Amino acid sequence: MEKAKISASQLFILMILFQLSNSLLIPLAINAGRDSWLAIIIAMIVSIFLFSVYQALYQYYPALLPTDYMEKLIGKVFGRTLAFLYILFFLFSAARVLREFGVMLLSLAFPETPLFVMSALLILVVVYTVYKGIEVVARTGELLFVVMGLLGLFLLLLIAISGLIDISNLKPFLEEPSKVIKTAFTETLYVPFGEIIVFTMIFPYLNQARKLKKTAIFAIGTTGVILALTMALNISVLGLALTERALFPLLSTIQSIEVGEFLERVDVIFVLILVIGGFFKVSVYVYGAVIGTASLFNIKEPSRLAYPLGMVVLLLSMIVANNYPQHLQEGLKVFPLYAQLPFQVIIPVLLLIIAFFKNKKT
Amino acid sequence: MSYRKFLKKMNRKEQSQDLEKDDPKSIDTSLTENLNIIKEKTGNSPDIIIRIISFGHDPKVRTAIIYADGLVDNPTINEYLVESMENNVQEKLHGKDPFTILSEKVVALGSVKTAKDWDSLFQSLLSGDTVILMDGKNEALIGSTKGGERRSIEQPDSEVSIRGSKEGFTESIATNISLVRRIINNPNLWVEPMNLGKQTKTDVSIMYINGIADNDTVEEVRHRLRRVNLDSILDSGYIEQVIEDESIGLFPTIIHTERPDAAAGNLLEGRIAIFVNGSPNALIVPAVMIQFFQTPEDYYMRFPISTFIRQLRVLMYLISLIGPALYVAITTYHQEMIPTGLLIIIASQTDSVPFPAIVEALIMEVTFEILREAGLRMPNKISSTISIVGALVIGQGAIQAGIVSPAMVIVVSVTAIASLATPSYDIAISARLIRFAFMLSAAIAGFYGIILGLIMLTVHLVSLRSFGVPYISPLAPFEPGNIKDTILRAPLWALNERPKFLSAKNRVRQGKNQRPQVPMSQGMVRADTKEGDKNEF
Repeated sequence: MEKAKISASQLFILMILFQLSNSLLIPLAINAGRDSWLAIIIAMIVSIFLFSVYQALYQYYPALLPTDYMEKLIGKVFGRTLAFLYILFFLFSAARVLREFGVMLLSLAFPETPLFVMSALLILVVVYTVYKGIEVVARTGELLFVVMGLLGLFLLLLIAISGLIDISNLKPFLEEPSKVIKTAFTETLYVPFGEIIVFTMIFPYLNQARKLKKTAIFAIGTTGVILALTMALNISVLGLALTERALFPLLSTIQSIEVGEFLERVDVIFVLILVIGGFFKVSVYVYGAVIGTASLFNIKEPSRLAYPLGMVVLLLSMIVANNYPQHLQEGLKVFPLYAQLPFQVIIPVLLLIIAFFKNKKT
Repeated sequence: MSYRKFLKKMNRKEQSQDLEKDDPKSIDTSLTENLNIIKEKTGNSPDIIIRIISFGHDPKVRTAIIYADGLVDNPTINEYLVESMENNVQEKLHGKDPFTILSEKVVALGSVKTAKDWDSLFQSLLSGDTVILMDGKNEALIGSTKGGERRSIEQPDSEVSIRGSKEGFTESIATNISLVRRIINNPNLWVEPMNLGKQTKTDVSIMYINGIADNDTVEEVRHRLRRVNLDSILDSGYIEQVIEDESIGLFPTIIHTERPDAAAGNLLEGRIAIFVNGSPNALIVPAVMIQFFQTPEDYYMRFPISTFIRQLRVLMYLISLIGPALYVAITTYHQEMIPTGLLIIIASQTDSVPFPAIVEALIMEVTFEILREAGLRMPNKISSTISIVGALVIGQGAIQAGIVSPAMVIVVSVTAIASLATPSYDIAISARLIRFAFMLSAAIAGFYGIILGLIMLTVHLVSLRSFGVPYISPLAPFEPGNIKDTILRAPLWALNERPKFLSAKNRVRQGKNQRPQVPMSQGMVRADTKEGDKNEF
């Protein structure tokens, strides 16, 4: 662990930025059709229970990183192996986000630039940030959060005065409840809500431990509401068919803005949201991996790991899939089942049970 | 490791060599001997004036007055030393100590002290004091006679004000300290003197308000100043470079001002001022970035106007940072953002220009930088030549020759004016360099490059500290209570607290109800209200 402290409001902002990130842009929970917003809300509520598991574990070891207390819970060999697997999971998740981000950028504005260049530029900034430590990440968050907020309000205003919103697109309500439930539990719960597992690496830095519960739940709730509203907005502006087909529904929504003949192409706002979001998600994941590695292998200067691990993420992002459809397929079928479900849900629950019995005895 | 050890050894050797000099440490009893030592040590310089007077009567005592010509106030020496001593020639000395009589009765100066060692004697002599040596006494009397030719108090050049005080600091440290004292009439305004610079022995003073400034920060400033071991200190810039937190970055983490009112305002917020003799700039620490966009006049004006101007300054800084980069990005990658009509015009203009936008931008920016630097160091008489050449070269020649497009000229000019309009030269100059990095990143990756650049800049800025205070306070880390005086400027009556990041204690600045209490409400007033009532129910 590095010697640093972050405040509750900084954690709140980081969690929101981290979760919104790419989820704002993709057709989130679109398998639930018109009721995707409902699926998001359900997943959000369930994820609060999931968070309670993380929080309960944190309460047992408020000053320790998960990679440290795993060793205490299940022994040296298993604990360290598990911690190592978690680090790999963070790196892999970072690589997946980076890949997605790079592809989005290419398809948006830079069709002729190689993917590697785009990703490398972002990783450069990420490495620089992570090198500076969690306090700097948090403070950067505070400033960029204001930018994101202003942009969001501006967009909302533009969409509202363009008269694009058609509520009837959202009807009929609750056509297929089973689909909604299935989407919520098989997709949305893991991305973006379950991803807060990486924040267990950051919780120990909080300067007021008792504020954690309120802050995190509030952050999850806010994210859920914003995401649900965004999807509802997309569908009400574009209609279900168009939203389903769009690679980035938010982009299509923004592109349909037309105010007074001159405010037409405000795509750059989308690029801004995309870059800021991508930057934060990758940064937090890489930070989790860096600080975990440092504590696992007892490295004196964690900062030095930022550069090599950043390179690992960059290379992983290039080889993680042959092409984008394959990447999406992995993201929907393979990754949730074999990586996210165990790492985000099963292992924390098991660890909590072990922690409960261990601490009961003593 | 071994290299470090080696360095340490070297250091120790150097120090011990310093000590080995076989100079006499303390003053001798023989006057002739003493005068010889002074002559020898100053290399017989003609501006060290030694005057020998016989003092007293029965027995006479040989006394020498020694001073440095030009550093002292001549009338003072003539009137209060020489004359006074000659008038007292008749004093009977036998049985009494002539030195005591001299110091108590004869020398009619404001401040008199004694010295026994050569170091402090020379220190005083060369800073403008007068030294009096007496035969048979191994002690020197030092009278304060500082004076000589100096620049008078003038209006500061770099920080012009419309409304505020027109006084500016001068090169004399005593004058500068007094200028601040005149504003803050408070015994808690403490000054700590120091002598820095191995050769120059420059006077340096720390000034702060005891009880408002944070003790730890004051101690930190002391500590950093004490370890200064430079050969010479010719300007406050020397000190600045060896005590700042980030010495290799582009952003200033110490603010300097030429205005006593700005210094006083900062002291009252809990900051610490450092004065250096010979420099008309006071250093002020800790500095936060937002200060570089503020001027003391912001507090003298009505608050909505100050708020607007402050935000305008931040906007101008942003323009001077990314103005040309935006143009490069839009014309290279994002043409669809330009309204079609304008796009056609720009396209027809750039059609005749053989270079890509980035090369155009670089040519123009470099040309402008050259013109600006040339104009800065130019004697006034030929500066008009530069402006004519500049206007013709940039304005017309370049376009007609087909080297750059007219749109680019506009962008570069706006950027140039924006960077000149930033109130602090220190922060504006950082933008001048970073601008080129932004232009390159825009040429490589368009908006994406600019956004990444801005994120990187943000990360760099939030990682900076100035004497322990985060550089972007109070915005990040966010402190809701201190937001009132940042890019906003709340009404004066609402600025009740000092910045939290500067001092944890004594934060209450003023009384609570400083808002003007007007006798009548400005809303509708009932007819039966008596004068003086506040129309409250």
